[in-house]
Amino acid sequence: MATRGAKQIERSRSSAHEGFLQHRNHRWLKIALGLSIAALIVYLGVDVEPRHNGGSWYGYTLGTIGALLILWLTMLGVRKRAMTRGYFSLKAWTSAHVYLGLSLIVIATLHTGFQLGWNVHTLAYVLMMIVILSGIYGIIAYSTLPEALSDNRSEMTRSQMIETIAKLDRQIDIAAQLLEDTEIVRSSLKENPFRAGIFARLSGSDRNCRNARALQDMRARLATATGEQEDAIRAVVQLLERKAAALARIRRQLKIKARLEVWLFIHVPTTFALIAALSVHILSVFYYW
Amino acid sequence: MTFLVERISYSAQGRRIVKAITVEGDTLTIGRHPSSDIRLADLNAALRHAVVQRVAPMQLQVSAEEGVGVELDGRKVTSGIIDLATGGDLRIGKNLLRFAPTAAGSEEIRVEVEEVGESAADEKDRADVARFAAGAVMPGKRVASYVLAVVVLAVFLAWPLWFVGQRQQAQAQTEQQPVRGDGRKAKAERQERVEVRPVAGFAADRLWISGHLSQAHASLENNCGACHVRPFEPVRDESCMGCHGDITNHGDTERRPEEAAARLARSQPNLTGFARFQLTVAEAFGHNAGRCVDCHREHEGPTRLADTVQSDCTGCHADLNSRLTGVRFGNVVDFGRNAPRPDPEGHPEFRPLALINWDGDRPLLSRVDLRGARENSNLAFPHEMHLDPEGGVARMTQRLGQRYGGRPGLGCADCHTATPDGTSFQPINMEEDCSSCHSLGFEQQGNVVRTLRHGAPDQVVADLREFYRGRAPARPQELSSAARRRPGDIGQVRAALQYARARAGANTSAVQAIQAVFQPQGACGECHVVDQRGPLDFHVRPVAFPTRYLLHGWFSHAPHRRTEWPRETPAFPRGAAFEGDQACLSCHVQAGSSRAATDLMLPNMASCQSCHGGEGGRREAVESSCSMCHDYHLNQGVPAMLVRRQARGQRWHTTVTPVARLTAAR
Repeated sequence: MATRGAKQIERSRSSAHEGFLQHRNHRWLKIALGLSIAALIVYLGVDVEPRHNGGSWYGYTLGTIGALLILWLTMLGVRKRAMTRGYFSLKAWTSAHVYLGLSLIVIATLHTGFQLGWNVHTLAYVLMMIVILSGIYGIIAYSTLPEALSDNRSEMTRSQMIETIAKLDRQIDIAAQLLEDTEIVRSSLKENPFRAGIFARLSGSDRNCRNARALQDMRARLATATGEQEDAIRAVVQLLERKAAALARIRRQLKIKARLEVWLFIHVPTTFALIAALSVHILSVFYYW
Repeated sequence: MTFLVERISYSAQGRRIVKAITVEGDTLTIGRHPSSDIRLADLNAALRHAVVQRVAPMQLQVSAEEGVGVELDGRKVTSGIIDLATGGDLRIGKNLLRFAPTAAGSEEIRVEVEEVGESAADEKDRADVARFAAGAVMPGKRVASYVLAVVVLAVFLAWPLWFVGQRQQAQAQTEQQPVRGDGRKAKAERQERVEVRPVAGFAADRLWISGHLSQAHASLENNCGACHVRPFEPVRDESCMGCHGDITNHGDTERRPEEAAARLARSQPNLTGFARFQLTVAEAFGHNAGRCVDCHREHEGPTRLADTVQSDCTGCHADLNSRLTGVRFGNVVDFGRNAPRPDPEGHPEFRPLALINWDGDRPLLSRVDLRGARENSNLAFPHEMHLDPEGGVARMTQRLGQRYGGRPGLGCADCHTATPDGTSFQPINMEEDCSSCHSLGFEQQGNVVRTLRHGAPDQVVADLREFYRGRAPARPQELSSAARRRPGDIGQVRAALQYARARAGANTSAVQAIQAVFQPQGACGECHVVDQRGPLDFHVRPVAFPTRYLLHGWFSHAPHRRTEWPRETPAFPRGAAFEGDQACLSCHVQAGSSRAATDLMLPNMASCQSCHGGEGGRREAVESSCSMCHDYHLNQGVPAMLVRRQARGQRWHTTVTPVARLTAAR
């Protein structure tokens, strides 16, 4: 009976939405904080001659804890492909991943004894810090950006966004038929916002946007044009303006999306580089005992 | 003449749709303008892009508007001819105008117009929403992961391992070719092999360095193999001894390293609890206790060898006697323990090695207690008399103004000359230190003073005999063997009698003089112990002093030559300093009052403690941990700590309690 009651509580608890950061009343935050504080207290408390570093007994202890933690944290990549519930639910795992990962900052830094240099050991430390910092960024991104992403979409699907551009292109194509010089308009039609590389996406920059340039050019031309050409240009300008707005929406979407996702492209490959460096770090220490 | 213009398009199902119009006349205008014969709804085309005109029965002239071109049969031109017999392809923007081959005499020229724009696949690709993802423009995570990991492994593992392999191979080759012979060249070669030389270029295993080496070993940073000889083997003492071969192991005074090591092992306290566990773990990994690197830690940054911490010594020496029998010195806790009232348990009183007796002419040295210790140097020398600024010695030094600067009495430095290292003093030398007053002269001939030979009593006897013989009367003429002797010559008898009498007198004077010289108040006996072995056979006992009294502690007089009183007191303002004799006497306090050379005037521990505190002891004291006076590796010279301090330009302040205070307290 008792177990069934517990299971029921379990079920009701898991039914309410609870983010992985708050999971179980911040259980893993508490555990990680406890671990870090304990590590710090021992670090300050024990007298290691001549100074703290990875080679003292405490250094080896922290190093072992840190290395095992890193390997376990990496296992999230395997674990996340299989969802389960309860204690070892993916949410619990992710929560532990985040907080234990953060506690590595304390554990690994104390392991170094603040002795850094140009060597494979510091390389491993730096890679680890890159992984952790990119992870911290990821948490912040995941907790703030999805809202901005859906705000930007304003009920549109991604296909609709692309379709809007395509429609406008067709309209521009038609409207521009009467223009004498169409080169600038053609360049607008060639504008492909997805062409932007990761940095352009992250910045949301339209510095090289051909549509923007065409719009600017056509507006300038509108001032001097007369008669039939003036009407044609005005029509084109209006369409280019609408396209500019549609492009801006796509760019914002790309920007948010890139900001939301880019950290994983650092987090994951750097993790593997870290594991390589960590292996060399451990091996070299024993090789040159 | 007619142009039959067929516009070709395709339905969604791919069915070909042909719409045909006819254009009458010899001229065909092509462009975006609505009035064109062939209107191209293509922004790539100009409003009036080109004109096709029949210029001959079977020839069409194509001329493009200025500034735009056309592609005629694949060639970019501004104008050209289409031969109707073969036909021709004219491309303007996205449109392809195919002029069909026309039979001669035909009045109809068929032109197919087809838009050859983007393919449907491109259209589909354009609609791909996956392009919103950042991954669309990033290298794949998996690929990037592998690449980065491989790069790290290649640079930081494979390269150093390869480098180590190369080095070991080179070493093995050298070792296979032993250097034979005793020639200078072979010796140099052997020396070169032992020497640790910097490696040229960048040693790849340097990527594994866990921290900079100490400043003294900085040159080895590019040469990991100098210490890390074999992989996965902890650094061994042999590597250190390769260069530091002449170092003495702790406690190995007799140079029997194995016994010393065993004793050292016995002397260490038993580890308990966590320390025991640590040692067990360390030993399991081959890190045996007692290796050089236990104390001399490396890769701790560009450090300098630190002063030995006192606890390193007291860890064993605080209760050494409870573990080790036959130790000739007491337990040590701290030099200045509970100072200013020093604790006898803190540090045992000095037990200097003094010359206490003689076995014939062989001095017997023994460690003695300072209290009541007598030194038996076989020399009589009252310090008090010589240092007294009044009295005979004082007048003497004043008279010998040139040498003693007119000072009354002697100063310490007039006789005691320190060795260059300041540790000890040159032996006292009669000729240099004593003879200016204690003259051994016995006759002046003009400007030359004849002196007795110091240190050669037989010579002295002979010289004195000779001197008195020389002053004896000349042999009378009458007694000359050359003259003919006549018996009963009264003059001759008288002369012989007188001569014999005179000679006997001279002989008596010589004996008396010799005996006087060796008497206790005589020129020799005044300072020396003289044994009379026969009527005129005198033996002066040899004089000796230990060159060093405190064997395992170290003291330099050099920095104590000027002493300062560190504390401000009513009697002594801050910075009150003593120099010269005052400085000497501030430690060797008895010297001013000592009447016998047997007084051992070494300062006791309390004298040192008046300035020197222990580690972290009194604020105003000179902090003196064990390494101030003692060296772990038992070097006879200056303790390494002081050498290092001096090399690093650190001055050590020396302070000594003023004489007056000490003498008053005594």
